[in-house]
Amino acid sequence: MKGRISLSRIAGRVSVGLLLLLLPAVPISAEDARELILAAYSVPKEAYERKIIPAFQRYWKQRTGQTVRVRSSYGASGAQARAILGGFEADVAALSLESDLDQIAKAGAISHDWRKGPHGGVITTSVVAFGTRKGNPKGIATWEDLARPGVEVLYPNPKTSGGAMWDIVAIYGAGLKLWAQQVGPGRSADGAAAEAYAAGLLKRIQRNVKVMDKSGRESVTTFERGIGDVIVTYENELLPRVWSGRPYEIIVPSETLLIENPVAVVDRHVDRHKVRDVAEAFVAFLHSDEAQAAFAELGFRPVNQAATVRARGAFPRPANLFTIADLGGWDAVRARLFGPQGLWTKTVEELARDG
Amino acid sequence: MKPFLIGTVWLYFAALLIGPIAYLSVQSFGEGVSAFWAEITTPEAVHGFVLTAEITAIVLTVNVVFGTITALVLARQRFVGQTVLSGIIDLPFAVSPVIAGFMLILLFGPETILGTMLGAAGIKVLFALPAMVLATLFVTFPFVVRELTPLLQTIGTEGEEAARTLGANEWQVFLKVTLPSLRWGLIYGATLTAARAIGEFGAVLVVSGNILMLTQTATLHIYQSYVDFNYTAANAVAFTLLAVSFGILALLEIAKARAAAVLQA
Amino acid sequence: MRSRRVIQLALRSAAVGYVVCLILLPLSALGREALVAGPGRFVEDVTQPQALAALTLTLETALITTVIHAVLGTISAVVLVRYEFPGKWFLNALVDLPFAIPTLVAGLMIAAIYGPTGVLGAWLQDRGLAILYEKPGIVLAMLFVTMPFTIRALQPVLIELEREPEEAAFTLGASPWTTFWTVTVPSVLPGLLTGVFLTFVRALGEFGAIVIVAGNIPMKTQVASVYVYGEIESYNPRGATSVSIAILAVSFLALVLLERLTRPPGERMPALLRPRGRAPMTVAS
Repeated sequence: MKGRISLSRIAGRVSVGLLLLLLPAVPISAEDARELILAAYSVPKEAYERKIIPAFQRYWKQRTGQTVRVRSSYGASGAQARAILGGFEADVAALSLESDLDQIAKAGAISHDWRKGPHGGVITTSVVAFGTRKGNPKGIATWEDLARPGVEVLYPNPKTSGGAMWDIVAIYGAGLKLWAQQVGPGRSADGAAAEAYAAGLLKRIQRNVKVMDKSGRESVTTFERGIGDVIVTYENELLPRVWSGRPYEIIVPSETLLIENPVAVVDRHVDRHKVRDVAEAFVAFLHSDEAQAAFAELGFRPVNQAATVRARGAFPRPANLFTIADLGGWDAVRARLFGPQGLWTKTVEELARDG
Repeated sequence: MKPFLIGTVWLYFAALLIGPIAYLSVQSFGEGVSAFWAEITTPEAVHGFVLTAEITAIVLTVNVVFGTITALVLARQRFVGQTVLSGIIDLPFAVSPVIAGFMLILLFGPETILGTMLGAAGIKVLFALPAMVLATLFVTFPFVVRELTPLLQTIGTEGEEAARTLGANEWQVFLKVTLPSLRWGLIYGATLTAARAIGEFGAVLVVSGNILMLTQTATLHIYQSYVDFNYTAANAVAFTLLAVSFGILALLEIAKARAAAVLQA
Repeated sequence: MRSRRVIQLALRSAAVGYVVCLILLPLSALGREALVAGPGRFVEDVTQPQALAALTLTLETALITTVIHAVLGTISAVVLVRYEFPGKWFLNALVDLPFAIPTLVAGLMIAAIYGPTGVLGAWLQDRGLAILYEKPGIVLAMLFVTMPFTIRALQPVLIELEREPEEAAFTLGASPWTTFWTVTVPSVLPGLLTGVFLTFVRALGEFGAIVIVAGNIPMKTQVASVYVYGEIESYNPRGATSVSIAILAVSFLALVLLERLTRPPGERMPALLRPRGRAPMTVAS
């Protein structure tokens, strides 16, 4: 038959091709190279890749003469936690929420109490803030402004985004605080009324949300595409964009939530890979001046005292800052807001019914 | 009537396909050709392209072989459960990639039988190349089977029966009678498989661990770039993938037209 | 011949074995996860208000997508097969592209053009039609990823089609329109059905493109695949798998129905009931 393809020749070519392609994947191992696997959430990627990891590699070389190869993965905090639960053998987990680390601890992969470390295991902090268009055309200043009709609000879906959970917890906590301010010190012991007010505020703000992206970072890219009047997100998401010239304003409301990002060595994996010394040194390094300065340059609020002092100009101090501990801790808050009978879950259902 | 219909088709294609792709093309070169080139030659981008090529090569080989076998079985044999088999084959189209990846984790996770067995043997499946290959095998499986089965049914068994009565054994019948008539279906199915494998994203994101310079395919690199606000890189790599796929498909069209012309000559 | 039987059985085992390992095994892991707390909980998971809303929205938008493609896809297939015009090769090559485009990229492209600040989107929004973050956006994303199915399923059938019945109809005085409906369509029905069913099934499972262009507001603009993703991410794997199984069940039923409707003529009986000794009819080439 004219022009028939010879099957055996094709098979031969494909096999050779396959071999050639697969060869580069065979790793060439160096004698004194140690390998560290880092699983981090997506936001601090630049800090780690550009500054912290190279600095740590220099530091470790100087101290021990060994070369450290860092394999890093960046993704949504919850997704990274689940990957670790699913078998991803990260040696160090630097995540956005402590409850993601707790999940890993619950599965037994982290066996030490990471909260006992310096600064309670936290390496950076931030606050929940608003981003608006240049000139703040809608005059956003407080949480109530987000609830005004005609204001389009952006934040991601708390089911998929740790960042969104921080955002909604901030709304809730701010609601409680605002109510307490309104009624004065005498009546602030009335829990039910405060809860009702906070729930109402959350509902009015959620009504103004038309788009919920699946992660905080994607929320910012949506905002950049021109959607929405105000975005609720981490301050450290907004600062680098503004510093690189994007036309946004950052407003830190006076009642807002302190975001604390923890890091921990994953015991099960470091022992299996025999890199505990490197991993622990890496985590300690994250508290050093050099690492903290790198975080500060990206808009994170450093925990290291010296770096905080140097950076103080850039970070306004909210008058009524509160923390997740003030609200009872993540487990309690998660159940209260996001469980099947949770406040946020109910709010969404009510809004759908209202049409 | 005819110009109206042709016009409708052009409008349909323009609104749905040509518009978005043209937009991507323009955006990719928005910063200039040198910026485009710089972004597709970064170590991360190159690693992504190589990894995607590796996975595609493996997937092509496996799914072409098994796809052909499955098509032969479906078209030439009759057995109990055939309808069920046929229904299952197309299921990967319906499974969202998040679920495809999730299923692999359910199957190979650390708490599972398979996971612990393979782990004990030192074989890493999840968060390494095997899982990525499995995920891609899953989503590309239907293509070759769907191309070949109706073709086999249409061709019929006369040629094959004739060869058998002339004394050919099964392998000879397949190689000299069946395969040549399947040629274009096979090439087309293989092309679609390759194109789909190149573009796979969701399932691979879940099972790869997205480790920089290790398990980041080209599409994962696009996502990483997008999330890093590096739109130039995202667009450039996306455009490259599209151009490669379009190139393969266009070559196929031209080759088919040539073959048809030869047959008519 | 006995060796032929042996080879047939070997091939069948290989095919069935591969399909079982690659497709059934993972799916059964999914099913096991969904039913881990019993069928009662499964029903509960699927009838949660958010889950139900997501399922309804998904079915609705997938149906709209299928209808649109059934019409426009058929026209496109007819045009691409029957007519010659400049640029035909270009359109033909384009048809398969949605298979190759990562869904993430598809979503971003659609959002860029049809979003409120996009080239077309802004224009449409001024005229009161919001695409992105509303139902039309979801349908648009589904349209994009399912575009090839109807066209590609119809083309080979149209090519094979004998023109004589159509020409006979013409000579008997039937209009092109009547001919199309009474002669052409019934002959290409298997191809059309295949394309339509595959479109529906694929649209049900789409995630990557939709999650970018939809508002994803629970109970309003959240489709099943996005709901499932949310449940996985919030440590509710059972809820996630239950809804996934529900969608897959619908798809599987559709595919089985398709198989029955498009089986080649003469083989309507299941194998067990067919009289022995009669070879199956094959479609003349």
